[in-house]
Amino acid sequence: MTEQPTFRFEAAPELPGADRISKYGFGAIRKLVDRLWDVTVEGIENIPLEGPGIIAPNHLSFCDSVFVPAVLPRRVWAIGKGEYMDSWKTKHLFPALGMIPVDRSGGDAAQAALDTAASVLEGGHLFMIYPEGTRSRSGNLHKGRTGAARLAARCDAPIIPVGHVGTLEIQPPDSVTMKIHKPATIRFGEPMRAEDFGDPTDPRVLRLLTDAVMFEIARLSGQKYVNTYAGAPEQVEGTKPSVPTPGSRPLVPTIPSGRIDPAPTTNGGSEMAHAAVSELAVRT
Amino acid sequence: MNLASIIELHDANSIALIDGDDKISYGELRDRVASARTRLHQEGIGPDSRVAIIAGNEPAFVVGALATLGLGAVAVPIQGTSPMPELVRKLKAVSPDVIAVGDAGDWLAPHQAELGAPFVDLTTIDRSTSASGDGPVPPIAHRDDDDLAFLMLTSGVSSDAKVAMLSHHNLAWIQDSIIDEPIVGLSAADLSLGVLPFSHIFGLNVVLLTSLRVGATIVLQRRFDAHFSLELIHRWQITFVSGAPPMWQRWAVADAPDNALSSIRNAASGAAALPRDIFDAIRDRFGVEIGEGYGLTETSPIVTWSRGVEVKPGSVGRRLEGVDVVIVDPDGTPVEQGDTGEIVVRSPGVFKGYLDAPEATAAVLTDDGWFWTGDIGVFDDAGYLHLVDRIKDIVIVSGFNVYPSEVETILMEHPAVRGAVVVGAPHGETGETVVAHVSGDATAEELDAFVRARLSRYKCPTEYRFVDELPVAPTGKLIRRELR
Repeated sequence: MTEQPTFRFEAAPELPGADRISKYGFGAIRKLVDRLWDVTVEGIENIPLEGPGIIAPNHLSFCDSVFVPAVLPRRVWAIGKGEYMDSWKTKHLFPALGMIPVDRSGGDAAQAALDTAASVLEGGHLFMIYPEGTRSRSGNLHKGRTGAARLAARCDAPIIPVGHVGTLEIQPPDSVTMKIHKPATIRFGEPMRAEDFGDPTDPRVLRLLTDAVMFEIARLSGQKYVNTYAGAPEQVEGTKPSVPTPGSRPLVPTIPSGRIDPAPTTNGGSEMAHAAVSELAVRT
Repeated sequence: MNLASIIELHDANSIALIDGDDKISYGELRDRVASARTRLHQEGIGPDSRVAIIAGNEPAFVVGALATLGLGAVAVPIQGTSPMPELVRKLKAVSPDVIAVGDAGDWLAPHQAELGAPFVDLTTIDRSTSASGDGPVPPIAHRDDDDLAFLMLTSGVSSDAKVAMLSHHNLAWIQDSIIDEPIVGLSAADLSLGVLPFSHIFGLNVVLLTSLRVGATIVLQRRFDAHFSLELIHRWQITFVSGAPPMWQRWAVADAPDNALSSIRNAASGAAALPRDIFDAIRDRFGVEIGEGYGLTETSPIVTWSRGVEVKPGSVGRRLEGVDVVIVDPDGTPVEQGDTGEIVVRSPGVFKGYLDAPEATAAVLTDDGWFWTGDIGVFDDAGYLHLVDRIKDIVIVSGFNVYPSEVETILMEHPAVRGAVVVGAPHGETGETVVAHVSGDATAEELDAFVRARLSRYKCPTEYRFVDELPVAPTGKLIRRELR
């Protein structure tokens, strides 16, 4: 374990959590994590101490959203459901953890989330995103969604892959409490840049970068990788998917036609859903 | 409609074909086709018969194909230069009732018995055939939209060549789409270079039949010669040029004045990926931007193209209007915007299935008309398609997809590498592993260090095999199966 750099509470008056409650609240969370759990941190030198960075961890447990921010040398922001701000239980805690509430109902939610994430990075801050989109129920590392890569290309920000072990034992699925005094290890990998995977404006780069990030996360977390989205049925191990028979294939939606329409002509833009900014850091 | 009627209404005096110094008007072409109908009819050809057309880009091909369609029969274009064993295999797959031959007839004649069907020599048919008292010319037969017009051998680069069934409407719909394109357009005043083989869907439908449909002129080039192409383009002031990447590559460096391509209104490339340096060379030297397109025999062929839109090098353009395209995951779920997956297509150009191969058909064509191309691609935010690889070329290492094109691109960046092809090989621990076939003067150690500095570990080849030459098809596609 390398020596921890001194924590700096970044002043970001334009972002949530700049108030004193958040400042002291987050300080308390950091102390609690340090005292109540046996957390080992590796590769902390890979976190840039200034400028933008995308923190991309595997996602096994709700408490990932507490442990990863708590061990970083800087504050980190992430996007969470707007509803958290309506509950007295979470409306102070979550902004302290760097949550930016975004209303995720409606067609423009994904774009709003993406723009919010981009503004955090453009302000020179850290932003956290789970590339798997949601918690892995299988324990395996699942196929990454391309939101982190999209942000990396758009904002010229490095992605820092994160692989952690132990959070599932601290807070298993569906458990509301965290078991104290258990060990966890959080490993940060070397920063990865979109430009190393080709021209960042080339759309092929998004998947290449995403897969390379997932490979690094798998290396850091020791998880087995499966090339299906978290929550989707998994392929049989070691086989290439055979072409399904027509009967087993779902109907593919018709794409609007148009000769030189300015809008994207396929897989409709507004359907980005949680893709762009996948599942965001703070959620249950 | 019967596709044979596409030449019927054009001005009899306007020029349909230019073959060397020989100009054939639409009137004369109609006469020759009528004569050929008579001749084929005498051989017993009628609705749903099959006629193999073994000819190059020569008038005999055009006459033979249109006469066959006119009788309601199905035409099977076969490259005249195929070696004999391949020819026998192809003919066996389609069992034609008659083999109609062009210039290739000279060397094929002694092999007639081997080829298994009677010969008709198309080069001896001219207007006089029908005038010599062989009875009335059979009229153009009525055909329904779904009736078959062509059987196309999808030689491609796959090991299991299949025969695609294309209907009159499949081809006519693509022709309409090309002709109706409002920005570049195509009219009877245009001249098109006929150098792509007519036995291939790109040359057949996009170049030959679409040009005939509007009454334009096709300047035939029977055998590819870069310098001669440029002479033809300049001499006849050709406006439409479609070529495969190796052709564009040779034109880029051919000995010709820099205004040799100044008459071109539309330049297109297809059949394989056009390397960026060729695009740049043609643009810088001749001031022409080559628009890439994407299509398959099974889609008659256009799926995306770059006509009427700003050309984006490296992409294969935008969706042809009326073609539905989605990018899907292996389970058929559309991927998220901007992600990579299999290209699935539905359009009136999508074929009727593979001949005598219901299982192969069912594996790629759904009941509701979606054709699974087997190609991996991704749309950018502006709706331009970018191709990645063939699905079956992907190497899966520890669950991660390795796209051979990415690894090959990196290898090609090494100064001592002339060519590189990446394939998968079985591996006990990781499922598959990456094997690189390389031509060039580098050592395995050098390449390993070079690649490791640039690629994730799972993508790095674990074995290098050095070869003198890599197998490349005439279209420019690499033939990977020979390396597996």
